[in-house]
Amino acid sequence: MNTVFTVIFIISLVAVTIISPSSFLPALLSGVESSLSIAVTLFCIYAVWMGLSRIAEKSGLNKYAARALSPLSKKFFKTSDSVATQNIAMNLSCNLLGIGGAATPFAVKAIEALEKEGNDYAQKLLFVINATSVQIVPTTVIALRSGAGSAAAADIFLPSLICTAFSTLFAVVLFIFWCKVWRT
Amino acid sequence: MAYLIPAIFLIVLVFALVKKVKIYDEFSLGIGEAVRFTLSLLPCLAAVFMMCELFEVSTLSQRLTDLLSPLFSLLGIPKELTKLVLIKPFSGSGSIAYLTEIIQKYGADSYIARCACVCFGSSETVFYISAVYFAGLKKKNLAAPIAIVLISTFFTTILGCLICKFM
Repeated sequence: MNTVFTVIFIISLVAVTIISPSSFLPALLSGVESSLSIAVTLFCIYAVWMGLSRIAEKSGLNKYAARALSPLSKKFFKTSDSVATQNIAMNLSCNLLGIGGAATPFAVKAIEALEKEGNDYAQKLLFVINATSVQIVPTTVIALRSGAGSAAAADIFLPSLICTAFSTLFAVVLFIFWCKVWRT
Repeated sequence: MAYLIPAIFLIVLVFALVKKVKIYDEFSLGIGEAVRFTLSLLPCLAAVFMMCELFEVSTLSQRLTDLLSPLFSLLGIPKELTKLVLIKPFSGSGSIAYLTEIIQKYGADSYIARCACVCFGSSETVFYISAVYFAGLKKKNLAAPIAIVLISTFFTTILGCLICKFM
C-alpha cells in the first residue's frame, strides 16, 4: 500500500503541477471531504450491524454459528481460534447475503484475532475472498437498473453469479497455488 | 428478499430475550464499537481519497483510459467500460457514479450497461479493502494477494463481457 500510494501520489502531483497547479490543494481538500461523507455512510451501516452483532454475541448465537463452521475454518483457514472463526463466519454470511458493508467490521476483527495466532495465511486468504466479492444477489446493481427503467432488472442475476463465483474460485486457487510454490 | 433483514433482527432479538441479554445496553455498546471502528478507518480513508482525487484531477486516469482502451477491446471488453474497470479497484463511490452514468447513457437493458453491471457486481474496491483490513497491523507484504485479486478480477471482466453476449 505504501508503494502504491507513493507512486500514484507523486506521479499525479507532478502531472497536476504541469497542467494546473492551482487545482492541487482543492483536489486534496475535496478528497478529504468525500472521505468524510463515506465515513458517515459507513458509520450508519456499522452502527446497525455492530449493534446487532453485539447482541448476538452476548446471547451466544455467534458461538453456535462458529461451532457449525469450525471444521470448515480449520480446513480452509487453518485456524482453531474461536473468536477468529466466529468473525470469519459472520463476515462470509454478510457477504453472501449482499450486505457487504456490514461484512467489513467482522473481517477486521477476524484479522486481529488471526494476528495473535500469527496466522498470516488465513489473513491473506480472507482478504482474497473479500476482495473478489462473494455476493449471491447483486442488490445495488439491481436497484440501479430498475431505477433506470429496465424491463427486467433482475436478469443480471445469473451472469453476475457466474462471474462472482468464478472470480472468487479463481483467486483462491491461485492464492493457494502461490502459497505452495512460495513455501517450497 | 425484503423480509430477510427484518427476520434476522427478529431472530436475534427473540433469542437474546430468551437468554436474558440486556438488549438496549448491548446494542448501545455495539454502536460504541462502531464509532471507534469508523474513527479508526478515517485516516486511511482520507489518505486514499486524496490520492484518488488527485489522480482524477491530474487527467492521468483519462489518459490511462485512452491508452488501454484498444487493448481492452481486443480482449472483448467494450471501450466504454475501460474507465469503470480502472476505477473500481480504487473507489466504490466513484465507480457507482460512473456505472449510473453508463446506465443512463446507453439504457439499462443495453449490452454495454449489462456488461458494466456484471463487472461492477463481481468485483470489489481492492485497494480500499486492503487499506482497511490491515490498517491496525504492522508491515504486511500484500503485493502478491493484491496482484492475485486484480488478475482474477480482470479475467472475470473478460468472462462477464462474453457471457453477456449470450445471456
